[in-house]
Amino acid sequence: MANEKYAKIAATVAGREYDPANPVTVGAADGFSQISTPADEPVIRVEGLRKSFGSLEVLRDIDLSVMPGQVVTIIGASGSGKSTLLRCLNLLETPDAGHVWFHGSDLAADHVDVNKLREKIGMVFQGFNLFNNMNVLDNCTLAPVTLKKMTKAEAEEVARKHLDEVGLSSFVTADVRRLSGGQKQRVAIARALCMQPDLMLFDEPTSALDPEISGEVLNVMRDLAAEGMTMVVVTHEMAFAKSVSDELVFMDKGVIAEKGDPQKMFTDPEHPRTREFLSRYLES
Amino acid sequence: MASAPARLASFVKTNHRYVLLGTSVVAFIGMLFSSSARPAMSFLANAFAVELVMYYLCAAWLVVSVVALLFKLTHWKNYAETAPFAKPAVATGLRYASYVVWLCAAVLFVDRAVMGFASAWAVAAAATSMPGDMLTQILYMFQQGRQTYLTGAITTIELAVFGTIIAFFLALLLAAVRILEIDRSDNDFVRFLKKVGVGFAKVYSTVVRGTPMLVQGVIVYYLGFAIVSSTGMSITEVNGIWTRFIAGLVVVSLNSTAYMMEVLRGGIESVDKGQMEAARSLGLSQWQAMLKVVFPQGIKYAIPGLSNELVINIKDSSVLSVIGVFDLAFAASTVAGIYYKQLNAYLVIAVFYLIMTAFASWLLGKLSGLLDVQSKPVGSTSDAGPIVEKAEA
Repeated sequence: MANEKYAKIAATVAGREYDPANPVTVGAADGFSQISTPADEPVIRVEGLRKSFGSLEVLRDIDLSVMPGQVVTIIGASGSGKSTLLRCLNLLETPDAGHVWFHGSDLAADHVDVNKLREKIGMVFQGFNLFNNMNVLDNCTLAPVTLKKMTKAEAEEVARKHLDEVGLSSFVTADVRRLSGGQKQRVAIARALCMQPDLMLFDEPTSALDPEISGEVLNVMRDLAAEGMTMVVVTHEMAFAKSVSDELVFMDKGVIAEKGDPQKMFTDPEHPRTREFLSRYLES
Repeated sequence: MASAPARLASFVKTNHRYVLLGTSVVAFIGMLFSSSARPAMSFLANAFAVELVMYYLCAAWLVVSVVALLFKLTHWKNYAETAPFAKPAVATGLRYASYVVWLCAAVLFVDRAVMGFASAWAVAAAATSMPGDMLTQILYMFQQGRQTYLTGAITTIELAVFGTIIAFFLALLLAAVRILEIDRSDNDFVRFLKKVGVGFAKVYSTVVRGTPMLVQGVIVYYLGFAIVSSTGMSITEVNGIWTRFIAGLVVVSLNSTAYMMEVLRGGIESVDKGQMEAARSLGLSQWQAMLKVVFPQGIKYAIPGLSNELVINIKDSSVLSVIGVFDLAFAASTVAGIYYKQLNAYLVIAVFYLIMTAFASWLLGKLSGLLDVQSKPVGSTSDAGPIVEKAEA
């Protein structure tokens, strides 16, 4: 009966009546692993999200939705809540109020199996966070094998494919601590891709890298976007935000000050704070 | 890092500025040996002329060193340029001369110290009652009581090794419990269990680390005795089951568990938070992430502290002689009781303990080398930083 329950939820999210003959989503027995989202329905939708750390209100009434294949870039000053918002999307931070619907399941609901949902949400961190006790290949195969999605051999095949995509096929057995920052970040991307996610979250993936090395990571992300991966990217790389994203979100003091078409926001932003923040880029 | 043999070779084979000072110390020690009484087995007793030559060679070295020192004091600023001792040819000559002095000192050392020990050993072996000389007394007591000492040493090793191994696994379990956090998704029963677990680990650590092992030993032994007795067994049967050794092993294990838990907790908590987050973001549960990612790294950080526990257990198991565990300390008190010589009996086990702990430290050092545990030296005392040895060609 789990299928029906999730289908009902999904239908409600999509704003329709639940119709058993024409379900909005088709869930597998575990409810999530095989959910497919129709193209007109958001992969992830945030509604009235609030988050405070102690007395500091970091996020206030955030609404956001990301359609399949869309690349949403979040920009804003440090401390504006970008990273916290991103971390709320896979519950690394628990929201205080509001909802995060992923494929029609509310992540903030108590009974939800967060681990199952996270399998479908890949995340790339500013600090890479590769597992230091494993080599490159084991970093990539740990989750698929542990979560019994694949056998070791299958997982290695998938990992090699993704490592090849990010240009690291010759580093398969390397110790992750010996890699350069750019290589580490590309391994981190490959690791996330090995779980075949529906959504990729990037938390300032190039902030710890020099401009030259950032390029190799951004190229991988660009390719990923071109392949149709749904992505939410928090970044300070304005060129990337302008050229790759389908929607640009500007955050200021815990709220979304402005969002819309990146081309328009980079030429004629509406919000005065956006204009101020992007002033360096507006002329060019 | 240059290996130890390579460093030694370069120390011996190259001229260096400490040859006069360093060899003076050696020469002085050689002269001291020469001035001490000859033991019965001394081979130089038959070659008095040879010893005389060696003695004066050492003395001559001291004279040369004093001259060099005076020269240095008077030519402090330009010693390197003006001193004859600093000329390469002279320095090389001094180096060869220092070999001779070292050799003399070594021969004198063997003649007096090694042969002295051998003589004492032989005298002690032949003695039928307590000899007069202290070294001979110690060796006599060691030889007479060697079975006792050996039994004690084996018991001490067993207590320390098995105790440490058992404690490691218990500590791993307890550390895992200690760092549990209550999740949003936990139901009331799980929440309750987690609270009880964390509370138990905290109380356990406080109680065990807050009381002396000696006291714990007495309590565990007699409490265990009372419990086993309550089943209605006779004293002999109880002694057969709840032996002093088993009680001792329980005490060492339980005691070490508390300390190891804290060491492990420190190691686990020093693993970067991002490791956990990355594992969780891939869909691993808290437990899977702990097991596969955080624990392996945390244990590695904890290895120096854990190794230390083995060394501590070797030494601290000595307090268990209070409940009659036949360990080294118990052996010493037994032997001391026979001959009424406390100092001698305990000097023997001091050497035993030192050898065992040194061996354990060496072994664990090798182990952490295998596991790629790197220690970072931070003990530099100047802004210039410590000497970094050049890689060998």
